[in-house]
Amino acid sequence: MIQVEALTKRYGPTTAVDGLTFTARPGLVTGFLGPNGAGKSTTMRVVVGLERPTAGTATVDGRRYADLPAPLHAVGVMLDARSVHPGRSAFRHLLALARTHGIGRSRVDEVIGMTGLESVARRRAGTFSLGMGQRLGIAGALLGDPGTLVLDEPVNGLDPDGVLWVRGLVRALAAEGRTVLLSSHLMHELALCADRVVIIGQGRLLADASVPELVAASGGGSLEDAYLQLTAGSVQYRGRAADEATGLTAAGGAR
Amino acid sequence: MTATTTVPNPAPARGLPARRGPSLPRVVAAEWSKLTSLRSPAAIGVVTVAVSGVLTWLSANASSTDPGFDPMGSLGTGLPLAQVGVLVLGVLVGTGEFSTGTFRTTFTAVPRRLPVLVAQLVVTAAAALVVSVLAVAAAVVGLLPAAGSRGMTLDLAGGRTPQLLAGMTVQLVAMALLGLALGALLRRTVPAVVAAVVLVLVLPVALMLASDPGIGGAPPVGVAYTEPEVTAVGTVTAVLPGGAVTHLVPGAGGFDGAPDLGVGGGVAVLAAWVLVPLGVAAVRLRARDLA
Repeated sequence: MIQVEALTKRYGPTTAVDGLTFTARPGLVTGFLGPNGAGKSTTMRVVVGLERPTAGTATVDGRRYADLPAPLHAVGVMLDARSVHPGRSAFRHLLALARTHGIGRSRVDEVIGMTGLESVARRRAGTFSLGMGQRLGIAGALLGDPGTLVLDEPVNGLDPDGVLWVRGLVRALAAEGRTVLLSSHLMHELALCADRVVIIGQGRLLADASVPELVAASGGGSLEDAYLQLTAGSVQYRGRAADEATGLTAAGGAR
Repeated sequence: MTATTTVPNPAPARGLPARRGPSLPRVVAAEWSKLTSLRSPAAIGVVTVAVSGVLTWLSANASSTDPGFDPMGSLGTGLPLAQVGVLVLGVLVGTGEFSTGTFRTTFTAVPRRLPVLVAQLVVTAAAALVVSVLAVAAAVVGLLPAAGSRGMTLDLAGGRTPQLLAGMTVQLVAMALLGLALGALLRRTVPAVVAAVVLVLVLPVALMLASDPGIGGAPPVGVAYTEPEVTAVGTVTAVLPGGAVTHLVPGAGGFDGAPDLGVGGGVAVLAAWVLVPLGVAAVRLRARDLA
């Protein structure tokens, strides 16, 4: 279980996350949505202890991440597919990670099998495509058999087969009673695999509801319609063509 | 696991029996696995040993025609370049996390962070010790052809020689740790390598040239000096890493105008060069966000 309470994160004058509160519960896939720069990745980095909150708290199973006795067994983390030394093979990357927790070689082979990396496990990670890098990141997240998973854009760069696999995987993980927090920009994908959706914009909570609730609130459209309505006022980076198409003035949008 | 909402964390019941987290021995094992799974440290080790042997061999051959040829006088001639090898080895361990994105993986697995730095110190020292012993051995082997051509044998157990060999080994290990400290502090490989080379090789020579245009560069190890007049520039040189190492062997001589720190003083200066940047890196690693 992930609990974020009144979380604020500032970098100098910039406020990336602003009083954010939400809970990702066991047994559910919680989708985490927001425009670029909304504070999703910052929130996830605070949850896994890479950054400290300016105010508020983020806890996993009731503890601050840094206070978890065995982090890999509590939380599986995939923040960025580029979290691997390009000169190291996938197998050795996972083995080094496993050794921090005394996890055996057989479990490393197991997650390599689960993520379909057998044929490339001995290749240097620098030669991997984005999709293979994502699979390696997911393998690392599964390594400690954790009760909670934090996955930042896990389907980014995956082929259709891989997208389908991630969908099945996160559904299965949640069905086993695990907590899954997953960010994505792919609305159709989230509509298919998320139970609840947390939408943020400019660091603030815009919505925290189930997918059917959001769709109903938007007037019976799609999750995408609901998302676009909710984030219309908080998009920081918008292409000029989109402004013109939607009739927004330059002063309102493009910065 | 059907009662999903009433079981906050079902995972401990599954799979792996021992659910203990990172301990220092485990983090050391992980860092050793990382160091030995890259090509560059191994390549640097091989090149360092080869450079040490070949340079010593060339130097000993060149001076073997001198009437007063002493093979041991050439023993340290490969050292200035061999120490660059271990410096870079240390830098690569120190910057490897941050020059790539690996730090995200490493510090989510070990959120207390400092055990990683301690483990890097341990594995760098261990790897550097192996490379250094081999590099010193290669230097000794490099002396053999020249000594043989004059019908001389090397007496490795006599006089100051054991201390000289130990001092060379300590110097090389210290340089690897200095590289690690600078790498951990600067986090980017190129600036850290440049800083290390400037500190160890360029600054002492530049200071010497600035203070006395008549003297060009560092004297070879093993040459005794008659007039050790202490100067300000000499003192500065003595407390640079490249100057401090000349004190590791008593009577081996130092830079002109440098005060005699003694073996203990040399070790203390080197330790400070490793521990101060490493301490600053540790404080920052512990206190700051990793993004």
